[in-house]
Amino acid sequence: DNNIFSATIMSHYGTECTTYYCNKGWNEVISHLSPYSWANWGIAIGLGFSVVGAAWGIWLTGSSLVGAAVKAPRIRSKNLVSVIFCEATAIYGVILAIILLNKIGPPKDGYFSSTWNWGQFYFAGYSVFFSGCSVGFTNIASGISVGIAGSACALGDAQDDSLFVKILIVEIFASALGIFGIIVGIIQSNNAQFPVQ
Amino acid sequence: MSTVAAVMALGLGGMETFNMQHGFVEAVIRGFRSGFLQDDTYHHLSQCETLEDIKLNLQETDYGQMLSNDANITPPIIESKALQKLVTEFFFLRAQSVEPLSTFLDYITYEYMIENVMLLLRGTLSGRNVNELMSQCHPLGMFKESTMRNIPSFEASPRGYAELYETVLVDTPVGVYFQRYLDQTSARVTAASEVRNVLEEIQIEILKNSLMKLYLEDFYDFCSAMGGETAEIMCALLRARADRNAINITLNSFGTPLNDPLMRETHRKTLYPSIGNLYPEGTDLLIKVDDDSKLVQAMNYYPVYRSIFDRFTNSSPEEFSIDDEFYKQEVKLFELAFESQMHFGVFYAYVKLKEQEIRNLVWISECILQRRKDQVGNFIPIFSRTEASRKH
Repeated sequence: DNNIFSATIMSHYGTECTTYYCNKGWNEVISHLSPYSWANWGIAIGLGFSVVGAAWGIWLTGSSLVGAAVKAPRIRSKNLVSVIFCEATAIYGVILAIILLNKIGPPKDGYFSSTWNWGQFYFAGYSVFFSGCSVGFTNIASGISVGIAGSACALGDAQDDSLFVKILIVEIFASALGIFGIIVGIIQSNNAQFPVQ
Repeated sequence: MSTVAAVMALGLGGMETFNMQHGFVEAVIRGFRSGFLQDDTYHHLSQCETLEDIKLNLQETDYGQMLSNDANITPPIIESKALQKLVTEFFFLRAQSVEPLSTFLDYITYEYMIENVMLLLRGTLSGRNVNELMSQCHPLGMFKESTMRNIPSFEASPRGYAELYETVLVDTPVGVYFQRYLDQTSARVTAASEVRNVLEEIQIEILKNSLMKLYLEDFYDFCSAMGGETAEIMCALLRARADRNAINITLNSFGTPLNDPLMRETHRKTLYPSIGNLYPEGTDLLIKVDDDSKLVQAMNYYPVYRSIFDRFTNSSPEEFSIDDEFYKQEVKLFELAFESQMHFGVFYAYVKLKEQEIRNLVWISECILQRRKDQVGNFIPIFSRTEASRKH
């Protein structure tokens, strides 16, 4: 019959399994997770954690910025750059999510043909998932880091203008962490493409 | 203990979560930091000839128009107006804060509440008017007016204090310290010692120092429970404060009955706070001290206090008193509290530094009023860029 798993499982375990889902071990459980679910989880994690990191960073830096601007209103416009750096990590998440979701597609005619390319199928699923993880986890770290540095930047600028550019360099390094994530994520998912038949 | 539970529940937050609750308030107080008088302002102020010039100079600073409604300026007016500015800023911060910062800010005010209670109690001993006393109370530590009016009506004896606590102070935050003090003294009060402590001034001094000791220990426990950077910085500041209190108690007791060998062991020993670098070996040394030279000898073991006493003994009495030397050391510590971010120590340090600035202003205006221009430079600069100790 046509069930996708029977071919892989039966070939792996020989005659031990008599049904489709015989719970022979973790290998079976994990390989029973559909690559479509892996891929879509990857997009969710990539986008979700990036936005969490960006939001956390904006929360940290925005509260300090608002408070410091009470006594030093001149810092208002310049220090919005810190908020923009945080926002950039969310944008990396969106870019990667759009790239990844273009790789996913349902099989032609809605069923797996006998010549279905299982290898490419599984590869694409795992590749998209972990590429999303790369971006998500690096961006959450980058977002928090930019947030803390941005808060210090606002407070320092309020006391002494010459400090702004110097602390901004710290923030640039912090947001570079997010760039590492998206570069690796894109390379990781380059060859992934779900087969259509 | 409910405050400790509240702190545990909400948490202070490390670097990554502090700003969520307290970012705005901390940023505002750092903005207030730029309102401290600078070196050039102090320079202009010390060159003033009259108090009107001081008023003009202060108009350019963060103090602005605070003196504009006053026809003739006197140093007490300058002090009360500057204090009013500090109080306004403090209560603005208090209104914007959430737990555990709001409890922390309340703890800062308890010290002034204790001072006000002692002022009212002492005032009744000298038979002063209640209204006059209330106008002299520190604005950061005000109770409800009815509470404050009731305080002078009690007698200054252990029984009187017990009644005072049960009827008036039990609802106030400092009632806790009163209760603990009464518990401690009820164990020691006998008919004989009541007769011996007939000098009510000693009793008031002991009461004041005991309340301060209990307050400092409570504050210290609260800060340690919060953990993190706040605990590090605040505990260091409170330890320095406790040491200063211990040394001051010793110094002030010379020449009073508290200096008798018998009284030292029973009464003076109980006044030393149990936090602080001097506890326990240093306080044991201090118990045996009964004059200045022995005090300097005892403090020889502690480098910080040895250097303070060295400077004190080397300089003439006109230049700096021992209090000024302690203020200088404390100003250094409080300025250091501003060096790191995301902790509560800045709030405590700001209030104390602002108080020092008000003392500076009063000193300068008194010198100008009394035409003692030679001494006008004896204030302690705050966040000064040119101070000798900062040139490394």
